[in-house]
Amino acid sequence: MASGTSVNGTSIGNGASMNGHHGFSIERLQGLVQRGRVHSSIYTDPAIFELEMTQIFYRSWVYIGHASEVAAPGDFRLRTIGRQPVILVRGNDGVVRVLMNRCRHRGAVVCETESGREKVFRCWFHGWTYDNTGKLLSVTAPEGYGEDFSVEEHSLTPAPRVEMYRDFVFASLSPQGPALVDYLARATSMIDLLVDASPHRQIDVSAGCHKTVYNGNWKLVGMDGYHPNFVHASVIAMWQRKADSGMGATHRSDPFDGKAATYVRDLGNGHAMLDLRQHRLDHYPDYAKFLASTPGGKEYMEAMFARDDEERARTLLAIAGDPHVGVYPNMQLIHNQIRIINPISPTQTEVIMFPVLLKGVSPEINALRLRQHESFYGPASSGSPDDGEIFERVQRGMLAQVEPWIDISRGLSREFVDSDGSIVANVTDEVPQRAQMRQWLALMTGENSSSAAAA
Amino acid sequence: MALDNLELLKAVEQFLYSEAEYMDSHQYDRWFELWDEQALYWVPCNADEADPNSNVALIYENRDKIEDRLFRLKGRHAHAQNPRSRLMRVVSNVRIAQADAGKVVVTSQFVLGEVRLDRQTVWIGRSQHTLLQTANGFKIREKKVLLLNNDSPMGNLTFLI
Repeated sequence: MASGTSVNGTSIGNGASMNGHHGFSIERLQGLVQRGRVHSSIYTDPAIFELEMTQIFYRSWVYIGHASEVAAPGDFRLRTIGRQPVILVRGNDGVVRVLMNRCRHRGAVVCETESGREKVFRCWFHGWTYDNTGKLLSVTAPEGYGEDFSVEEHSLTPAPRVEMYRDFVFASLSPQGPALVDYLARATSMIDLLVDASPHRQIDVSAGCHKTVYNGNWKLVGMDGYHPNFVHASVIAMWQRKADSGMGATHRSDPFDGKAATYVRDLGNGHAMLDLRQHRLDHYPDYAKFLASTPGGKEYMEAMFARDDEERARTLLAIAGDPHVGVYPNMQLIHNQIRIINPISPTQTEVIMFPVLLKGVSPEINALRLRQHESFYGPASSGSPDDGEIFERVQRGMLAQVEPWIDISRGLSREFVDSDGSIVANVTDEVPQRAQMRQWLALMTGENSSSAAAA
Repeated sequence: MALDNLELLKAVEQFLYSEAEYMDSHQYDRWFELWDEQALYWVPCNADEADPNSNVALIYENRDKIEDRLFRLKGRHAHAQNPRSRLMRVVSNVRIAQADAGKVVVTSQFVLGEVRLDRQTVWIGRSQHTLLQTANGFKIREKKVLLLNNDSPMGNLTFLI
């Protein structure tokens, strides 16, 4: 083994250090993430990317999909954990599973269709056949195997841990680690803001998705309240001339001017949000008027006020299912979508955007949610392609390495710890970037991080 | 095919070529003039026949939204089109699917080369135009574009297709 792969006898990233080139000592990693700045090699270095796969994506809880995507027995969706292919599937027994998409015989994927409904998954290399719970049903010509061969022991391999929070399915490839709710911690109540926006407290992720890709590192998809007036200047100009249309109604006064009642919040464990709640509440009367003008809007509001107390109902309606939260490392709930971030390589990332429909509201409201989403998000939209464009400019710019530091110090002097322990600052401050980088370092070095206040 | 139908086909082809030219050369105002008041611009996502009321599209826009799109592209801050994509498309396989009084439904296919920032991307698709015959020539009532890769990850599709 090459030198430099271990410190004090502790080697970092087993898979990575095995081939002797990806070893990073704890000290070296710590040197890359400093107070208010990070070294840009973490966005460009292929060895860092390999270590991220093993230390972050193959250990931490990773969002896989929503149970409504596999509503009926046999329903499946192909997903990935880092680069590893998995099948999200509801078995005939009704249980939602995450199975490694790899035949136990010679390793071919057993499912190559992106989604569908199947009773069995058959490997077309030699015909080994599994049921939709992953159980191996039969091998071709079994007489070729000896008595010690056990069909039972060759089921599709499940992800070591799978847990759900309110039908959000997460998996971890590590057999050990915190329970999902303990990992999500303060982020659970933000997921609630989305789910509870449905009068039935149920969301429906069946409207398809936008699959986007950009040539940049996965960590560039941040949670950033400093960029909108620049990256999205063209959209803001569009909204300003038609303040009543779509998302314009929720942006009547600029939430990102640094003076609005808008904040960033570090929820701990790398989870962070743009906290727009107070701002949206301040503009609730305008938004309610807009909602009332949509067919089914009045009934929606009545159902919410009948179900919840006034403050909660008003908050849920004003937020419109948009907690604007990032759950580390690969999920974001932004505007009308659940978003999955898939790292492809150090310099390429897929962002898959799933617009969310609310159960119990009119078809018109849900159709409006789709149109709002399309207007800002997706490959042909007005918003997210400009984000991708800027991420690509960052990736190119970072190749200039004479001064290799990325500054994420904004707001360090004015952030404060809120009563619930989360770190809060102005919406334009880089609290989310620091929250994510703290968690990144903790996972990369294999140290536990659970306290947001441990800055 | 009767001769008058061939004449109609020729006229429709010329219209599609002009539309292609305006899109390729980013002549947004001239392109917008081709649209009818009750315009529908639809580019499905994930599948060609997904119901837009319950499925996300890449583009599902009425005249107002098309105008918004062009307003944005004409401004100086549509970063994903700065620099603009250089475009060249070949429109072919033009067929009249339906011709009623004053209304023509025409299907066609395109191969579109895009060059931006030293990268060349090829986009391929099928279009279905519903054209109204007016005193000012054809106007687009509906345009549906079925991209061959509409279920695959895509980069920047902010130019006109």
